[in-house]
Amino acid sequence: MAGTTTPTETPLLKIWGKMSIFWISVGLGLSTAAILALSAVAFTLEYAVSRVVNLAHGEILTIGAYSAYVAETTFHLNLYLCAVVATITGAVAAMSLNFFLIERFRSQKSLSTLIATLGASLILQNLILIAFGGASVSYQFDQGTLLHVGPFLWTTITIKVMVSAVVVAILIYFLLQRTQLGKALRAVSQNRELAQVSGIPARRVVMQTWMVAGAVSGFAGFLYGETIGSITPSIGNGFLLLSITAAVGGGLGRPYATLGGAIVLGLVMAVAGTYTSSAYQLVIAFAFLAVMLLIKPSGIFVRGRRATVRA
Amino acid sequence: MLQYWTAILTEASIFAILALGIDMIWGWAGDFDLSAYAYFALGVYMTMVLTIGKAKSPVEYVLGWHLPYLLAIAVAVVVVIAFASIIGAIALRSLREVYFSITTFGAVWAIYYFVENYTPLFNGYNGVYGLFDPMGYGMSYAAYHYVFLAFCAVTLFGVYLLVQRLSRSPFGRMVRAVRDDEKAASVYGRNVFGTKYRTYLFGAALAGLAGGLFAAYIGAFSPLDWKPTEIFVLYAAILVGGRGNPKGVVLGSFIVYVGFVEMTRYIPSPAARPELGPALRQILIGVLIIVMLRFRPSGIIPERLGTDGTEGRRSWRYLFARSSAPPTSVLAWHEARPSMETVVPAEPRPEAGT
Repeated sequence: MAGTTTPTETPLLKIWGKMSIFWISVGLGLSTAAILALSAVAFTLEYAVSRVVNLAHGEILTIGAYSAYVAETTFHLNLYLCAVVATITGAVAAMSLNFFLIERFRSQKSLSTLIATLGASLILQNLILIAFGGASVSYQFDQGTLLHVGPFLWTTITIKVMVSAVVVAILIYFLLQRTQLGKALRAVSQNRELAQVSGIPARRVVMQTWMVAGAVSGFAGFLYGETIGSITPSIGNGFLLLSITAAVGGGLGRPYATLGGAIVLGLVMAVAGTYTSSAYQLVIAFAFLAVMLLIKPSGIFVRGRRATVRA
Repeated sequence: MLQYWTAILTEASIFAILALGIDMIWGWAGDFDLSAYAYFALGVYMTMVLTIGKAKSPVEYVLGWHLPYLLAIAVAVVVVIAFASIIGAIALRSLREVYFSITTFGAVWAIYYFVENYTPLFNGYNGVYGLFDPMGYGMSYAAYHYVFLAFCAVTLFGVYLLVQRLSRSPFGRMVRAVRDDEKAASVYGRNVFGTKYRTYLFGAALAGLAGGLFAAYIGAFSPLDWKPTEIFVLYAAILVGGRGNPKGVVLGSFIVYVGFVEMTRYIPSPAARPELGPALRQILIGVLIIVMLRFRPSGIIPERLGTDGTEGRRSWRYLFARSSAPPTSVLAWHEARPSMETVVPAEPRPEAGT
């Protein structure tokens, strides 16, 4: 006993060490959750106005990430301008997706639209693969220094990512609550036909919502590429499942519930990942989704419970 | 050339069985299931580990028995059914349509990453291998492949007869009644969950059977062989052939599968860009899915409600008839009847932004 115990392994230090790992993983979880929140809110907005589970959502993130990569390597733009480029490209991509695909499937059942977006996801992902190759690329931005903030351990870039995510979330809040578009968006999401006959230009509102959702997704794709450090044509697709889980777990079609779901999921994954293995992230996410759907199919942050969930 | 066609037809037969299984869940019961590939993969893995014997040191997997091939397939199918009964119970209990699809989509990726990363189960990323000549005839390489093609074709024919029979049986009609209107079906005393659940398990069993055949065909199986996106070619095949119609599904599988394999031979795939060919192939699959859904969602041979079973062979005539819907059918009755939504006001939609 005495021979094996080194001074650093006294019980108190052991607990302190475990706690510090715990807090570091919570810190990492917060930064993942921040990006996840943006992506999931965009996903939920798309669902709110078009009643579509957009399986090509991940590809919008990928497009954002790659456009920032092109902006950096080809045009040598700085961090902030690259973010702007990713935002604009994401918006354009989402608007074209809505115009060329989702609107064409409006008369069909939401399940058909889901399958169609699955096809779109295949097309986009492989176009990116052809354009940029399968090997991973990465941004060359300065990662900054390592900082201890309270019990957390963050880099400057992680802090920038989180701050910008919070800013975007606040902007979305103002957009939904204080602007005419937000009001129209909420009306369209409740009943598109009724909104249309009340004089709201539903088609335009839907298009603008897709623009906002695409911009947020493109930006989230850029942040994600920046955080994990390598971009491949399938990064968005991997993030899609997490976004869906966050949206459905929180409450599909409801931006604030989705936001809560994303933060809970980010933390659950980070903490669980620390004690198992990060390779099981998606497994944990699915377990979370399955439990959520079994206990409360309408979402954790939604009041009331309906017996059957339908689209 | 002959060997090439043998290989393609064997694969097409196996995938047609898988497509029939998927179609039961998607076409008959209307549940768009994305996790079918996991059942197929589980069938392959189980058949492998049940026949190839104990694992040798760097390789590790569970069981490692020496069962006869046919018995191994049977056991594998049972395991697949047991596994599907868990996923099905989660996904079908109260979730429908897109929620069901989301759940199965999550399930297939979770299973995929678990199998890839948890080595003690099926040797993780490297996969399991070593199954050849499972029938033990000791034949030559070429002869074995012909015999195996015959075996797969006969199995496909048997499965087709069974599924066609089931499709026209009262059970097949009940599944479709539940799909078209759950409320009406349950008013008429049908058990909605039980019907969907049994269909789901039957479909999963067919996927497991296809996996068992595939195990002997390729002899080695790793996560690279079943990336969940690869299965979309089968969804395209079902859409082309005709959802809900076993004849159409088999036809679609052969057309799309053989068509795509043939076509990819002519796509240039330079050594510097090895990903080009497969990527173009995936893009074509995506385009095919969207185009079929948009312009001919019922496929080449559409499902015919009501006539199957009662009119038997005469149903072939509808292929060439001017109107695709026979006059005195359940379908016509369905269309003439006001839908539930117009009679009963729809449930209030959830508010956004609360």
